[in-house]
Amino acid sequence: MTFTIFLEQIINGLIIGSMYALIGSGIALVYGTMRVLNLAHGEFYMLGGYFVFFLAVTYGLPPFLAIPVAVVGTFFLGMLIQRMTIHYLLGKEGWMFSTIAATLGLSIVLQNAALLLFGEQFQSVPYYLDGMLEIAGIRIPYQRLLIFVVALGTIGVMTFVLKKTRLGWAIRATAQDRDAAAVVGIPAQRIYLITFGLAAALGAVAAAMLAPIYAINPWSGLPILLKGFVVVILGGLGSFPGAIAGGLLLGVVEAIGVQLTSSEWRDVIGFALMIAVIWWRPWGLFGKKA
Amino acid sequence: MSEPLLTVENLNVLYGDYQVLWDVSMQARAGEIVAVLGPNGSGKSTVLKAIMGLAPAKSGRIMFEGRDITRVPTHEMVALGISMVLERRRLFSAMTVRENVLLGAYHRSAGKEAKSRLEWVEDLFPILAERRDQIAGRMSGGEQQMVAIARSLMSKPRLLLMDEPYLGLSPRIVKQIAGIIQRINQDGVAVIFNEQNVQLSFGLSNHGYLLEGGRVVLSGTGQEMIGSDVIRRVYLGV
Amino acid sequence: MFQPVKPAQWLMVVAAVAAMIAVPLVTRDSYLLHVLILAMIFGIFASAWNLVAGFAGLKTFGHHAFFGIGAYVSALISIKAGLSPWLTIWIGALAATVAGVFIGLPILRIKSMAHVAIVTLGFAEIVRIVISNLQSVTRGELGLWGIRPFEGFDLPGFGTIVFSPADKVPYYYLALVLLLLSVAAIALLMRSRIGLSIIAMRDAEDAAESLGVNLTRKKLQVFAISAFLVGIAGAFYAHYISILTPNAAVGADLMILVIAMALVGGLSTFAGPLVGALILTGLVELLRDLDQFRLLVYGAMIILIVMFLPKGLMTLGPMLKRRFTPSSSS
Repeated sequence: MTFTIFLEQIINGLIIGSMYALIGSGIALVYGTMRVLNLAHGEFYMLGGYFVFFLAVTYGLPPFLAIPVAVVGTFFLGMLIQRMTIHYLLGKEGWMFSTIAATLGLSIVLQNAALLLFGEQFQSVPYYLDGMLEIAGIRIPYQRLLIFVVALGTIGVMTFVLKKTRLGWAIRATAQDRDAAAVVGIPAQRIYLITFGLAAALGAVAAAMLAPIYAINPWSGLPILLKGFVVVILGGLGSFPGAIAGGLLLGVVEAIGVQLTSSEWRDVIGFALMIAVIWWRPWGLFGKKA
Repeated sequence: MSEPLLTVENLNVLYGDYQVLWDVSMQARAGEIVAVLGPNGSGKSTVLKAIMGLAPAKSGRIMFEGRDITRVPTHEMVALGISMVLERRRLFSAMTVRENVLLGAYHRSAGKEAKSRLEWVEDLFPILAERRDQIAGRMSGGEQQMVAIARSLMSKPRLLLMDEPYLGLSPRIVKQIAGIIQRINQDGVAVIFNEQNVQLSFGLSNHGYLLEGGRVVLSGTGQEMIGSDVIRRVYLGV
Repeated sequence: MFQPVKPAQWLMVVAAVAAMIAVPLVTRDSYLLHVLILAMIFGIFASAWNLVAGFAGLKTFGHHAFFGIGAYVSALISIKAGLSPWLTIWIGALAATVAGVFIGLPILRIKSMAHVAIVTLGFAEIVRIVISNLQSVTRGELGLWGIRPFEGFDLPGFGTIVFSPADKVPYYYLALVLLLLSVAAIALLMRSRIGLSIIAMRDAEDAAESLGVNLTRKKLQVFAISAFLVGIAGAFYAHYISILTPNAAVGADLMILVIAMALVGGLSTFAGPLVGALILTGLVELLRDLDQFRLLVYGAMIILIVMFLPKGLMTLGPMLKRRFTPSSSS
C-alpha cells in the first residue's frame, strides 16, 4: 500500500467520520438534555433518507430544495413522535428504563411501518455532484467533499445555536439543571420537544448526504444507530463536542482498521474500541470524570 | 392593612406516601421580609418549593396578588412576578457568570428590560462584572450565591423566595448576603426565606413562621417570636 | 419484597406444573408441542433476563449474545469434536458464562443505565458479526446445519426415548425439566442472602453499600448465572432446531422479543416472563400468516405496555380487583 492510498483512506475516514459525528451528536443532544437514550434515532435517519428519496427522485425536486424540506419534515416528525410517546413517560416512575424501552418499541414500529409503506427494495439517490478533486495524487470525489462541507456547516450552525441563541441557552440550561431552568422561566417540556426534533433533523442531514452512497431501506437505521452509540461512548455520553470528536475519531480508526484487516470487520473494530473505552475511561475519551 | 401579596391556605404536600406539610397556612405582604424557621426536615424548604410549583400540592391553595397559583407550572412563575433562589445555588455550572445572570431574564416579559436590569444587578454585585466570563461552577460558594441572587433578580420579581440562602457560607459572607436581602427589600421586593438559625433570621424579618414536623407551630412578628417561650427555650437556650 | 409463599400460590405453581406435564398425555400434536417447546426456551431466556434487568435492576440489552454463544459453541463442539449434546450444552452454557463475566465486569462499575444498554447491545453485535464472518467455522449466513440431536436412552418403564423431529414429546419434557430447573434456580437465588442483598442494592444502592455488601461481586455472580441460563436455553435450542443462523441465534429481533415478553408479563415478578413468553410465542404463531405485521405488533406492544401498563399483565389482576372493590381508605 502506497502512502497516497493510505492518506486517501484517512481522508475518507474523516469524511465518513463527519457523518458519524452528526449521528452521534443527535444522540448526545437528546441524552444530554433529557437523559433519554433514544434507540429510535436510527429510524429518523432512515425516514430522513426516504424523505429525500421521495422528494428528489420520485418528485424530481433539485437536491438543494429536497434536502432542506426533508430535514424540516424530519424535525417535525421527531417532535410529533416525542410528544406522543416520550413526553408522557418523562419524570414518571422508572422513566429512565421506560423511555429506553419505548424508543426500542418505536424503532421497531417505524422500521416495520416503513417496510409496509415503502417496501423492502433498496432505494438510492443519484450523486449530487460528479467529478473528482485531485491534489498531489490524492483523489477525492466532489460528492464526498460535499458530505464533509455539509457536516462541518451543520455542526457550525448547531454550535452557534447552542452558544448564541436564546433557544440554545435554554437547551443548555435545561440540560444542566432542569429545576433551576424552570425557575428562570424555561419550559422544560417544550425544550425537550424541540431538542428531540433537532436531533431527528441532524439524523436527516446525515441521511440526505449519505443517500447517494448507501442505499435507503427500512433497516438502514440500525447500523447507523450502533455507529452513533460507539461515537457517544467515545466522546462521553451527552456531550455535543465530544460526539463531534468521537465521530471523526471513529471514522479514522475504522479506515485504518479496515486497511489492516478487511472491510467485513469494520463494525467489530468500532465496537471493540467502545468496549475498550468502557473498561478504561467510561466517561469518554475527551470528557472529565464526573 | 393592605391586601396580602401571597397567601398560603391549608397546604398539604406529599412526597410519594410521605406527608411533608400538614395544613400549612401563611401570608406575606408587599414589601415584607418573612422568615420560615424550623429544624432540618421540618418542611420549611418544601413550603418554598410548593409556592414555586416545584413540589406538588396535594390540597390547599396558594394565592398571589389575588390569583390562584396552586397549579401554575414553575416556568410560568417569573412572568407573574415570583422568583426563587434555590437551595445550594443551583447555578448552570458549566456556563459563564454572564450567561447565568442573563438567563434570569429568559422570560419574554423580562427580556426587554434585560439590559437595564443587568446594570442594576451589576451595581448591586460588582463581582458579576469583574468575573463575567468565568465558568460559574468554579467560583466560591459565596460568589456563587451572589450570582444566584443576581439571576433571580433579573426577572424583576415582586416576591423573591430564598431557600436556605446562608447554607454553607462563612459568617462574613452571611452578613454580606443579609445586607443584600435588605437592599433588595428596600427596593420594594417582598422576600420569603428559610433558615435554621433563629437569631440570624429575626434581625432581618418583619414576620416569622416556625415549622415543626411539617406544621406551623408558631407565628408572629420578629419581636413576638423572639419573646415566645418555645423559641427562647428550644432555640435560644435561655 | 418476598413474603413467604402462600398456600394458594403453591397450589397455582403445582397446578401449572401438572398442566404442563399433562399436555403430551392429552395431545401429541407436534405443532402444538413445538410452539410450547419454543415458549419454554423463551421462558428460560426471559426469566434469566428478568433476573438481571428486573430483580437486579441492571438493564442490559445484549443477552442475545449469550443465547447465540451457547447455541453456536454447543453445536460446533458437538459437530467438530463429536461429543454428545448432553455434554456440549453445558460447555456452551459455560462459554456464555465466561462471556457474561467479560462484559459484566466493565458494565457493573458503571451506574449509568444508558451506558449499560449501549455496551451490552454493542457486545451482542460483535458476537453476531464474528459468528457471521467466521464462515470457515460457522458457515456464516448460510447457516450451520446438521447439528446432532440429543442421543436417546432407555428409561425404565417407558422404553427407549428417541429424540427425533418426528416425535416432539422427549424434547418437550427435556425443555420442561430445563425450564423448571432454571426457574427453581432463580427462585432459590432470589430468596437467598444474595437475592436479598440484590434487591436491597437495586432499591437503595448507597444504603446497601454502607452495609458492607460487596455489590460488584454479587451483581457479577447474578450476571454470570443469568448468562449461564440463557446459554443453556440457546444450546438446547441449537440441538432442537438443528440449524443456526447468526440472525436467528444472535439477532436483535431475539432480544426485542424477549424484552417484550418480560415487559408484557411484568418485570421483577417470577411468573411475568413465563406468562409473557407463552403469550408472545403463541402470538408469533397466530400472526404467522400476517408475518409482515408481526414485528409491528411487538413494537407497538412494548410502547403501549410501558405507557399504560408499566408493571405488565401480572399486575392487571390486582389492579382490577382494587378498582372494583369498595375502598375502605377513602
